[in-house]
Formats: sequence, C-alpha cells, structure tokens
Amino acid sequence: MNRSYLFIPGNTPSMIQTLDVFNADAIIIDLEDSVDVSDKDAALDLVQTFLETFDIQDTDIYVRVNDYQYAMPQEIDTLNQTAIKGYVIPKASKSLISQVASLTDKPLIALIETPRSVMNALKIADSTQVIGLILGAEDLTQTLRIERTSDGDEIQFARHQICYAAHAAGIEAIDTPFTKPNDTVGLIKDTRIAKSIGFTGKTAIHPNQVADINQQFIPNEQAIHHAKRIIAKAKQNGKGAFSLDGKMIDKPIINRAKQVLTDAKHAGILAGDDDE
Amino acid sequence: MSKPVFLNSIPDLFEHINIHEHKHISFHHHLRNGDDVINRVLSIYEAYNVKDIHLHPSAIFPSYHRILSLIKRGQITDITTSYINGDVGEYISEYGLKGNLLMTSHGTRARGIIEGKESINIAYLAVPTVDQNGNGTGTIGPSRCGSLGYAVADSEHADIVVLITDNIVDETLINPQIDGRHVDYVITVESIGDPKGIVSGITQLTTNPIGVKIAHTAATILTSLSSMKSGFSYQSGAGGISLKVTDYLRQYMETSNIKAQFFSGGITAYHVNMLTEGLVEELYDVQCFDLRAVESISQYEHHHAISASKYANPQDDTRVIKALDFVILGATEIDVNFNCNVTTDSFNTIIGGSGGHHDVAEEANVTIVVSPLIKGRIPIVKDRVTTITTPGQHIDIFVTERGVAINPNREDLINELSQTNINLLPIDTLKNIAENYTGKPKEIGQSHEPIGYILDRDYNRIDTLYKKKG
Repeated sequence: MNRSYLFIPGNTPSMIQTLDVFNADAIIIDLEDSVDVSDKDAALDLVQTFLETFDIQDTDIYVRVNDYQYAMPQEIDTLNQTAIKGYVIPKASKSLISQVASLTDKPLIALIETPRSVMNALKIADSTQVIGLILGAEDLTQTLRIERTSDGDEIQFARHQICYAAHAAGIEAIDTPFTKPNDTVGLIKDTRIAKSIGFTGKTAIHPNQVADINQQFIPNEQAIHHAKRIIAKAKQNGKGAFSLDGKMIDKPIINRAKQVLTDAKHAGILAGDDDE
Repeated sequence: MSKPVFLNSIPDLFEHINIHEHKHISFHHHLRNGDDVINRVLSIYEAYNVKDIHLHPSAIFPSYHRILSLIKRGQITDITTSYINGDVGEYISEYGLKGNLLMTSHGTRARGIIEGKESINIAYLAVPTVDQNGNGTGTIGPSRCGSLGYAVADSEHADIVVLITDNIVDETLINPQIDGRHVDYVITVESIGDPKGIVSGITQLTTNPIGVKIAHTAATILTSLSSMKSGFSYQSGAGGISLKVTDYLRQYMETSNIKAQFFSGGITAYHVNMLTEGLVEELYDVQCFDLRAVESISQYEHHHAISASKYANPQDDTRVIKALDFVILGATEIDVNFNCNVTTDSFNTIIGGSGGHHDVAEEANVTIVVSPLIKGRIPIVKDRVTTITTPGQHIDIFVTERGVAINPNREDLINELSQTNINLLPIDTLKNIAENYTGKPKEIGQSHEPIGYILDRDYNRIDTLYKKKG
C-alpha cells in the first residue's frame, strides 16, 4: 500500500529530474491536466526519454495519460516498454478500463471523477488490472455544480463510496489531493479525515505535502505500543478472545494490531523483530 | 582627541583635506543596495579626477555603480574587499583592474585594518545617527540599518574618519557603535540612502521543495549529533535554505526543551523571534538582514551589535565564533576535496566573496554546507572549484537533496551519523549522480592573466582569480 502519490507535471524537466527525492511512495507523472495542449507531444517525448534513461528505485511510477479519444492509445504504446508500474486512467469507467486493458498489461489506477463512476466504483474496482481508485474531487464537484470546500463535506458520499468499493475489491483507496500547498494545517486535517474514512493513501500536488501525508498514514507511538501489547497478550493467552484493559480482544482486533505493526515496519519506524 | 568638525556637505570636506593625497579609502556596506553615500563620495573623486585610488569597501553591491565608472576611467586601480556582486564583479572578471583585486573574509579585513596590513587613509562611513560628539549608531534614525559591525575597525584605525549622516541628535548616544573620539569629520546630508534598499522587510524561508528537503536533512543531521544540547551555539545565513534549517531547528528545540547559548553573524527576524521566545540567550549581530532585526537591536539587551573583529578576527581572543558549534553555509561550487567557492560562478564571473564564509567554516566545530546538487543544469560538485574561497579542510558536511557527504577527516561525524537513517555518500558519488543527469559540463576555462587573489585569514594567497577567457 502506498501512502503518498505525488503528481509531477510531465512537461517540466527540472521537476521530473528530481521526482524521486521527495520520499513519495509513488509518483504520478502527468500528461493530462497539468500539461497545456501545445506541450503534450513534447511532454510525452520528455517522459519517455527520462524513463528510458534513468532507473528509478524505491518509488512506484505511474503515468496519468490523456483521454482515450485524445492521445491515450499512442501514449500507452509509447510508454509500455518503459519500467513504469502502470497508468492512471482519467474519467475512468468500466468500459474505458476494458478498452485500456486491450492496450496494456500493466496495472491501472482508476480516477473516479464523474457522478457515474462514483456510482459504479465497485464495478471499476473489480476490473482485473485495476489496483487502486483515486477520487478526483475537483472534476466531480464541477460536474455536480457544487462548491469545493476545504472541509470537504460535499465529497463525503464519494469518499465513502470509493473507500468501500476499493476495500471490497481488495485494492488501494487513494484520496483526492488537497489543493492548497501552503496550508499545512488544512492538509493534515484533510488527510486525517481521509484516513478515518478508510483511504489507504492520498495524492499530493506539491512535493512539500508528501512528508505530512506520509506521517498521517504512519501509526503513532501510542497505536504501536497498544498493538504490541495485544500481540504479546495474544501469544501468551493462546485463546481466540481475551480481555485487555477491560476491553474484549478477538480476531479482528488482533488482525488490526498486526496491520498496525506491519504498517510501522513498512514506514521504517519499527524494526523487523520489534513486535516480538 | 578634539571634537570632530561638523560640515554641511561632502564637497566641504575637501576644503579641509587634499583629496589627491589620500588614496586608500574605505566604505562599509551596511546600507546594502540602499546606500547613497559611496556613489556620492566617488562622484566627487571622479570630478577631481583623483588617480591611483585603492578602494577598501567591506563589500560591493550592485547599486554601487560609481565604482565601475571610476574603474573604467582608470582612477580606481586596486580593490580590497570581502564581497562583490553586480556589474563591478562582471567587469573585473572580464577586464581586470590596473592593479590587483584582493578578496578577504570579513574577519581578515578587520584584522588587516587593525594590524595595519590594510592601511586606510580615509574611512567614509555612512552612519544613520550621530550625536554632537561624533558618536554614531545604526540602530536609530530614518536610514537605520542596525549593526555597524563592518565599519568599526575603519572608524578606529583609519587615518581620517569621516561620518556621513542624515540624522544628528542633540542627546549623547548611549552605547554607540562608533566612538566619537576617533572621528575627525561629521558631514550632514539630506539622506544617506533609501530605506527600502537598506534592509528587506522580511527575510523568507524557502518553499522550494528541493530547498525544503535539503533543509530538513540538514536539521536532521544537527539534531542527531550528541553535541546538539542545551548551551549550543549556531549560525546560519539569511538564505532561504539556511533559514528553513533554523526553522526546523526551532521546532526541535521547542519539543526537546533545548536552549541555545548564542546565535551569531547576520541576524534576521527568525533569530530575533527565537530570542524573544527564550530559545536562545544571546544574539551577536554583525549585520542586520531585516527590519525586525534592526528594531530588536535597540529593543533587547541580549541582542548585541558586535564589530567584525569581535565577530571573526582570528587575532581577537574574544571573537564570538571561537565558541561556535554549528554553522550552515551555502556554496556556488564545492569540489571532491570539499573546497568551497562562493566567489565566482561556474563561468568564472565574480558574483560574491567570502564574507564570513571562511571565518566561520574554519572556527565552527561542525560546518555544514547546503546546496542543491544541480543549479541551472550545472552540477555543483566539481573536480576542482573555479575559485577556492574556503579550503576543504574547514568543510565538514555537504548536504544535498540526494545525499550527504561527510569530509573523510571527520571520522567522529561519520561514526555518529552512520547510526542514523541519513543517506551518507562519498562526495565523488554525489558528483557522479549529478553528472548522470547533466552530463559532464564542458570546462569553461580561464585565461592565464591574473586579476586578483583570494587571501586566507593569515593573508596567504589561497587562490588566484584569472580573467575570463576572451
């Protein structure tokens, strides 16, 4: 599971050149919204050359391609031989995902940004190659003709729908970006809300957002300590259910404790045998 | 000493002294790009067609355009300074001077003036406020600039000391920075400069993501060291990355309940805020970088204006930086032997100078240089820097967005930081990483015609400045 997905414009050499230095778990190189139409062919050349020249380690790289009618087939044909992890598909629908599947075997992340795709989120999530759903709140609220706010009350339904669909399909649920790069407090609050709903990661539109997003998806010390106590008592107890601090502990809670420790290890804040 | 003579215009001075007899003249740069004094004084030298002038400004800023005019006319033949930025640097790089350019650190300049190695005939000192006894201060007045640290040695050791001010006060100044007993003339003018150019309203933390990453790494290094504990001392410049390091450090100090003994050097609002919040006990200020620092220096008794000698003169036993634990510095280039260049760019154009770089790097216990690995598509790490400003033995840690190199002569730091998650790499590896992106840059090269020299803190030549290739 990736905590952070950082969007990098595909037409900016200086940004592409440093895409792997910000500790984002994953990068989405964008050929779509952040690239002006006059720059799209040059951006594809740049991205292709970069990917063929540099071997990026420790960071999953995805490319957000353009609409199918516009340039998606050519873009996927150009990039299929590179080492990218997969593609982010804008305005995703069940039928579009099927079309894309005929162009590539690579994993796909579906961008859910229309009312119809929100309602069909589970069908899209169940598609074979789809490994994650991203909520695209800006396009969605524009279509709904509603105001996009910092509090995000207007996207609560979509957030829940996407989380449930993703978890039902066993894939990643990735939250929409917080679009105010200088508002750290707002970003942290927004990320906490997303995490509390069930999102497994969040997109970032600025490198300075990555550290805060990563931090929110790392279990805190209190959670790690509590999880260690649960696992220790479970080993010691040997029963399916037991009491700890006056609360009943059973299989789901033990599994959650294991997940907390796994997430902590993945984030590098817990050594491999620290839960022993 | 008799009381100084008060005059109403700069030309009046030359009814008292022969302008042609005093060739070594000095200025300070505390009014930075807002300085109106240096141009006005030199315009008179131009009018009198004074020859063979040896100029000793503490620094040259882009707005000091009259200097270039006198160089082109052949009147200024030699310059000794700590920093040059703007047209003057570009011109000298291209054509040189009739004589020599000598570039020293701030501490060396103070030492040279005090020891007579750098002999000043007339010091023309812009001073924001002067009293009836010739005492001067930079902390008050319409053109206030805060500390006058770089002017103190000139005011005490020049043959003739001339203060130029736009604010004469009747009451005797308490704790003046310029001692009136050394002053020969005080000239009142309408204005000594433009306040907008003297200090910036606010110095800014970097928000550039590469800068933020570098600053975070540098702060992680600082907070990982066992010597980072209450009572530590610290200096950072006013650059965006350096200030961001200071900001991260501040957060760490707040959460870890650590208090610093002192901060030194150029002082900004961020340093002042840490003083008022009780995170640091003393500020030793040789140069104010913003309005908040200027206001603070007369507001808080623990914010001290100090002279360049007290700051960094290697012969001054009470120098502040003798006790400096950590310093954050920048660089235009660094090489595989950790030599640092802050004097020229990679095209061999003079764009700066040591300032305090060499001083603090030599004295601080841990000297950290922060820089993006690639600037303007040019790798910052070279086989050999274009110009050595600060020798590599004084640079301990080099922090970039892609990794950190520790000088092999600091085994203690290597051992300590190897226990952390910081990505430690040999400096050659950083060079290779940069060149992997940019390719190996074509050497610009230099002519074989020397135009000046970089001096160390004992006046030894450590590098030669050559004319640019034609």
